[in-house]
Amino acid sequence: MDKHLYLSMIPEALIVSMLSPEDFGAYYAVGTEKKSRGQAIFCEVDPNFRHDELPIEEGFRRCVPHENGDPKRSIYITIYRVLERVPLEAIRTLYLVTQDGRVLGLPPSDTLPQDTGGLHLYQEICPIHPLIVSTLGPQEFYDLIVKTPASLLTVPAICFAEMRLGELADNPEYGSVGDLPYPNLDHLRECLADLRTKTVHTKMVDRISPATFPYRTLKSGVFLGNGQKLLFFPLPSQEELRARHYRWWRSANM
Amino acid sequence: MDIWLIINLVAGIISVGAAIAVFNWVKKQDPGTERAKKVAKWIKDGAESYLKKLYGALGMLAGGMAVILLIVFGIKEGFLYGLWMALAFVLGAACSAVAGYMGMMIAVEANVRSATASEKGLNPAFNVAFKAGSVMGLAMVGLAILGMTIVYLIWRSPQIVLGFSFGASTLALLAKAGGGIYTKTADIAADLVGKVEVGIPEDDPRNPAVVADNVGDNVGDVAGMGADIFDSYVASTVAAMLLGATLSLTTDEVTKYTVLPLILCMLGSFASLIGLQFVQVKEGGKPGTSLNNGTVYTCIIFGVMVVAAMLLGGFDLAAMWATLAGLITGVIIGFTSDFFTGDDRPPVVETAKVSGSGAAINIITGFSYGLISIAPTVIGIVVAMLIAYFVGEASSVITGVYGVGLAAVGMLAISGMIVSSDAYGPIVDNARGIAEMAGMSEEVVRVADIMDAAGNTAKAITKGFAISAAALTVLALFAAYASEMAIEGINITLSLRDPMVIAGMFLGAMTPPLFSALTMLSVTHNAFDMIEEIRRQFREEPGILKGTVEPDYVKCVSLASQDALKALILPAFLAVLLPLIVGFLMGPESLGAFLGGAIVTGILFALLMANAGGTWDNAKKYIESGNFGGKGSEAHKAGVVGDTVGDPFKDTAGPSLNTLITVMSLVSSLFAPVIAAFHIFG
Repeated sequence: MDKHLYLSMIPEALIVSMLSPEDFGAYYAVGTEKKSRGQAIFCEVDPNFRHDELPIEEGFRRCVPHENGDPKRSIYITIYRVLERVPLEAIRTLYLVTQDGRVLGLPPSDTLPQDTGGLHLYQEICPIHPLIVSTLGPQEFYDLIVKTPASLLTVPAICFAEMRLGELADNPEYGSVGDLPYPNLDHLRECLADLRTKTVHTKMVDRISPATFPYRTLKSGVFLGNGQKLLFFPLPSQEELRARHYRWWRSANM
Repeated sequence: MDIWLIINLVAGIISVGAAIAVFNWVKKQDPGTERAKKVAKWIKDGAESYLKKLYGALGMLAGGMAVILLIVFGIKEGFLYGLWMALAFVLGAACSAVAGYMGMMIAVEANVRSATASEKGLNPAFNVAFKAGSVMGLAMVGLAILGMTIVYLIWRSPQIVLGFSFGASTLALLAKAGGGIYTKTADIAADLVGKVEVGIPEDDPRNPAVVADNVGDNVGDVAGMGADIFDSYVASTVAAMLLGATLSLTTDEVTKYTVLPLILCMLGSFASLIGLQFVQVKEGGKPGTSLNNGTVYTCIIFGVMVVAAMLLGGFDLAAMWATLAGLITGVIIGFTSDFFTGDDRPPVVETAKVSGSGAAINIITGFSYGLISIAPTVIGIVVAMLIAYFVGEASSVITGVYGVGLAAVGMLAISGMIVSSDAYGPIVDNARGIAEMAGMSEEVVRVADIMDAAGNTAKAITKGFAISAAALTVLALFAAYASEMAIEGINITLSLRDPMVIAGMFLGAMTPPLFSALTMLSVTHNAFDMIEEIRRQFREEPGILKGTVEPDYVKCVSLASQDALKALILPAFLAVLLPLIVGFLMGPESLGAFLGGAIVTGILFALLMANAGGTWDNAKKYIESGNFGGKGSEAHKAGVVGDTVGDPFKDTAGPSLNTLITVMSLVSSLFAPVIAAFHIFG
């Protein structure tokens, strides 16, 4: 059986598994014996990737089929400071898994999305997960957090997503909320308005925002950067999702 | 008059014949892929198994009731009269059962065919779904006309037709309440475990209760609803016939006005048959508009037929105006009830808007709009009743109460069209579910979504129509009860200074809320059982959630069936026995007051529950369509709570109340001669 190497973002972990990405996503979201459920975001990593500080070889060695022949579902190699140690060249496809185990694979794009202007909302996913509003586009935001921090706060690598702001991007005070499901919208409006009136580029909306979020709120896709490079995994359009990934789309839109 | 009755028989045969022809046409349509057929078979088997159990239980009940009628009326009026009464009762129950069974069988055949036709576009899919709905409408009207006409032709006695109506109503009450309990038990359990606990979407084949949920749509919304309107349709006609029989005219004239309600039914069946042809939708068109157009055209055609028949038949013009008053008011009430439950109407938008502040505010707002919604309908009922009454009173031929009876018949005469539109709703709802479970294409689901939205609007309109028609029907039945008592020499005056009257009124007013509570508590108890079963399946077989193992759908279906039937026992006894206990114990005046109290609270509760439930439901849908935060928002969570509270309101207790008060009125009218002779107090 093939062995796969997966980099999980929620929680941050490196895992070896005999399951294909689709099966691993379903297993990771809904479990096996237990009635568990939860969104998952993970990347498939080149199985040849090795790192001196990570016992990957040991993980592969332990990943053997069960006595009854069933594939081994997961061997956790490490659960701490993984993202910063995996070079982006080893990252293949990123997978978004819904809470009931539907899996959507997003290959990386060569180009970053165009900045359409207005204010931005970022959900950091890994290694920490605050909710941030910013005047900066994704590339500038990533630079500020990872490459050229303007304050003492920085991370060596980051996974984040840009979230939809709808009318609030241009009109924080009076724009229509529409289908934005964010809690405490008055606070979000105030934070966005502060970006207009104060000389700051970012403002924290929520220190401990859950790393899981409704996928329908993704604006363009998911970003992954480690100081050397920024990868972008674009989410297909709503039309394409409905037409080609209907089961995932329906589950993501619950 | 016999020529009219012969035409009536022909009309009934044409209606039933058309229903059979359409039934066969629908069955010839493509049932789709093997997977779709398999899913449809699960639903069909579940529905058949429930109906078999329900009708088996009802058969025993009908048999027992027929024996009671035979004994009671045999002693009071002679053996032969008792035998005829018992036979009429059994025939009424049988006709109601056949109408419900036909409607449900075509619904389970049509939903898969409508889903399959969706691959070709909106037009073919709509055509299959609506034609299948029309089978229910045509069968119901045809069987009712045939049954009532045959019973009247044989015995020439509206009192015997009353027995037929009682049979239909008894079956309708149990079919409606049982179906309502079944459908909401499955719906709530499937949603709470599937969506909330496990996080799987609606109609997902991994949910063990998904088939029971779809079966529930058929047994509750098709078979139950069909039996319900069959009951109102027959009861309104019988009430008007009874009142016609008491007019102070020559024998020939009395016969003429006794038969007039049957003639109106016949005209309504022809109008519906023609109106059904207008319901068509082009690609890109709006199914909801087509359904509404069909209703409006049917009303116009029926109105013209009524005017022509009254003038040609030499009927008093007051009868014509009373009938038209009922018809027009019914249509207005139907469309105004859409105001409180329509997708983008102010009450729904407001309820959705305040949902951001939590479930409590959502519930208070929806409940308040439900209370407000009572006002326009009650005003409409009052206006229709007063116009019909005073038009009748102004006439030298008919009486005011007979006018009220005709107004009720006027409202319900176009039931063929109303039921067709109503039955379309659950058919397309199921078509969507089958498309989902059978893994059909996204385009199929999109078409099914468009058709489903139209079904919800049609349902809101027909619900308002059905409740207001039931209100006029029971008013006419109340008058019939008073006139039956008058025949026995007892004048019902209902003085509020009489403590027995006050006592009867309070007891009557108490009954609809008590009945509502019993049926809704049954839903919560049964849903609790089913939730445990769904959890057990997920717990013991992890492959279900991964989609590698098929759930045990049959277990949930049989659980819902047996629980629904058990839950019916107490409400059924309440409906039939309580009026008799009050009548025999407290006397005719108290029973009259009992009916008055039950009618008032029954109508108010029915309107409140139907409209508040509809408001909550559509407020949730309004949020889901991308307003006030959309799915996953705090407003949505509150909207889901409101919708769950509203489910048993609008689909279990609310719709059963019409039938409850009709059954109680019929029991009272039927047993009036016996109660007049034997009562302890009063």
